[in-house]
Amino acid sequence: MKIIDSIKKDFNTMTWVLIPVAIAINVVIGEIVVQLKLPVYLDSIGTVLVAAVCGPWAGALTGTLSNTIWGLLIDPNALPWWPVALFIGFVAGWCARGGLFKSWWKVAITGFLVALTAALVSTPISVYIYGGITASGSSFLTAYLLQTGQSLLPAVLITNNIVEPFDKISTCLLAFAIVQGLSTRFLARFPRPENVQIEGGITRNQIYIAVAIVIVVIAVYVLVIAKLVSH
Amino acid sequence: MHERLSFYVKRDSLLHSLNPLTKLTLAFGLTFAGFLSPWYWTPHIVILLIIIPLSIIGKVQREYFNATLRLILPATSFLFIMQALFQPIGKTIIFQIWFLHVTRESLSFAFANASRIFAMVSSFTLFLLTTHPSELMSDLTRRGLPSQFAYVIISTIQIIPQMQAKAQTIIAAQRSRGLETEGSIFKRIGALVPLVGPLVFGSLVEVEERAIAIEARGFTSTRKKTSLREIRDSGLDKIFRAVLVLIVLAIIALKIWTH
Amino acid sequence: MNIVNLTQVTYTYPLTDKPALSKVDLQVKEGEFLAIIGPNGSGKSTLCYALAGFVPHFFKGELEGTVQVAGVETKSSTLNEWVMNVGLVFQNPFNQISGAKYSVYEEIAFGLENMGVPREEIKSRVDQALILTGIDDLADRSPYSLSGGQQQRVALTSILVMQPKVLVLDEPTSQMDPVGTREVFGVIRSLTGRGMTVVMVEHKMEWIGQFADRVVGLYDGKIFINGKPREVLTSARLVGRGFGISRYTSTAREAIKEGIWPEDRELPVTLDEAIKGFKKISK
Repeated sequence: MKIIDSIKKDFNTMTWVLIPVAIAINVVIGEIVVQLKLPVYLDSIGTVLVAAVCGPWAGALTGTLSNTIWGLLIDPNALPWWPVALFIGFVAGWCARGGLFKSWWKVAITGFLVALTAALVSTPISVYIYGGITASGSSFLTAYLLQTGQSLLPAVLITNNIVEPFDKISTCLLAFAIVQGLSTRFLARFPRPENVQIEGGITRNQIYIAVAIVIVVIAVYVLVIAKLVSH
Repeated sequence: MHERLSFYVKRDSLLHSLNPLTKLTLAFGLTFAGFLSPWYWTPHIVILLIIIPLSIIGKVQREYFNATLRLILPATSFLFIMQALFQPIGKTIIFQIWFLHVTRESLSFAFANASRIFAMVSSFTLFLLTTHPSELMSDLTRRGLPSQFAYVIISTIQIIPQMQAKAQTIIAAQRSRGLETEGSIFKRIGALVPLVGPLVFGSLVEVEERAIAIEARGFTSTRKKTSLREIRDSGLDKIFRAVLVLIVLAIIALKIWTH
Repeated sequence: MNIVNLTQVTYTYPLTDKPALSKVDLQVKEGEFLAIIGPNGSGKSTLCYALAGFVPHFFKGELEGTVQVAGVETKSSTLNEWVMNVGLVFQNPFNQISGAKYSVYEEIAFGLENMGVPREEIKSRVDQALILTGIDDLADRSPYSLSGGQQQRVALTSILVMQPKVLVLDEPTSQMDPVGTREVFGVIRSLTGRGMTVVMVEHKMEWIGQFADRVVGLYDGKIFINGKPREVLTSARLVGRGFGISRYTSTAREAIKEGIWPEDRELPVTLDEAIKGFKKISK
């Protein structure tokens, strides 16, 4: 069966050894970011890394386990969000298989798609378990929107859509930077090294394009929200 | 930072001698009961009449109390406050800050919601306090969980504290070289790369050798694997699990019926 | 009886042009202790991986020639079959700890669990192995709380308990202090005393001089020299090629130049030989 073979291919011994290291990377970078008081999460870099070089199924597993272990042993508030972590890995993996992890600007697009998915998947969890209000700062924005007459579902969706792109695009770009620093020989050991074969050289232009995309994306969102709030 | 990434406390109690899957089923059962039951006071009953007594039976009441104070209470209190302030439901306003209202209804909702989360986290904490990770993994593997999962989970639990320690070392070393970790946001963003770089690359490089090492120990062997540890699963355990499942099903039925 | 038989083995890693091993012919008799020496990059680790089946099964790449070890042959066997017959221990003790177990006892049993050995047999084999390598006092400790030398002995025990026919060690003591080194060599010595076939890559010439039955030198992926320890380790061919040389040998060479050591006398390799040799001079 094709799907089962595709799943199996994601997992060789290197994958199994990489996953614990990737989860630890998730946890530790997530904690460093808190120590540095930066307004992002950056707690899925390891997940994206696994998704890129091993595949979407391995990425999904990494995200799920990462979230579960974090929730059980560090902060229980994280537990209900496991589907979000799952989809981050899953979508990043498929983007990588589709060739979207081969240059800076393509990776920015991957980040955007991952963010979109994360926002979509986290919205029903937020609404049905927490009534839309979670224990995080973005709830201020949701509350404000609700006060101005927005109904719950769109309000939460909008809130999530501002925070996520910034965080997820940064996450994917950082994961890409890490992959670039690894030798081809090393990457060849993983199931899907072809996902990260850099196209051409790494040009300055590509980085500029990536930054431009990030700015454009965020600008578009701000505009969309302004429109939605004003009607 | 966490020295030991494991709640487990070794005691000689009834709870400790129960099969791990039983305890896991209990944790899930209590959580589902709290979330799905149509009766408002369910989570509170669960906590007061089930979890606290069980912590005493399991001889882990002090650790549970510590965990509650340190971890669970702060997290759920914050949630309670957020919910009370921001939930836009209800009309009977009790007090008001700026554009935020606290209504009787939002207080009620916040209390229920926070309690459910409290019950969930408490029941899993109790589970973790009385179950050793390798015991759980041995049992699940025996029941069909592929052994690679057991490897990944326990490996992760052991690696995280090591990497946290490495991170602190790197932060200290970089700081002593003049890296600024406070100040403007640009400085702090700039600090991210010299901190994350050495940590990540150092850990990734080891992956290849570790893969060879476990291959050399038969990790990918296709033979049926055996287990050194023998995990008890008594008749009492099986009955207990069956009863729990029935209770949860009954609650679901009740919820559908009262809707 | 040759338990190891390499015939015209040439191996190139994937994405590389230059072969890591070129036309290597090597035979090892059962129960022999073979030491492998060579400068950095000469292919020693690759040879170890080839002896253990990881080249080519883990590393992919092109392998020409035949590799036969303990009844398994490269092209017709899987990595799993290799692992049952050939044990591999390498430099970094920390990376050889699985991470999946909380105690040394369970860590050692890990390989046997994977092999499907029945529980009672696992226990008796682990108990014996712990005594054999002298770490029975460490059985309940966490593998991560041990020193480098202790971890390396745990790694060695974990492999030995699987009862391989050939034991391959790639610089097992290079990351260790003298105490750790002595501990590891002590274990290996008792193993060879019991008839285990050992192939070991090592830099510490004095130790090789004491224990090895035969020494093979690799240079640039090819077998450069092959003979008894005494002949090889004192051979002039090693000089100036990046091979490690025993300090006692080098000292004696210098002493020959100064006219102190007689030219026709054998060069020493170990401390004892050096002491004896220099004592004779002072008489």
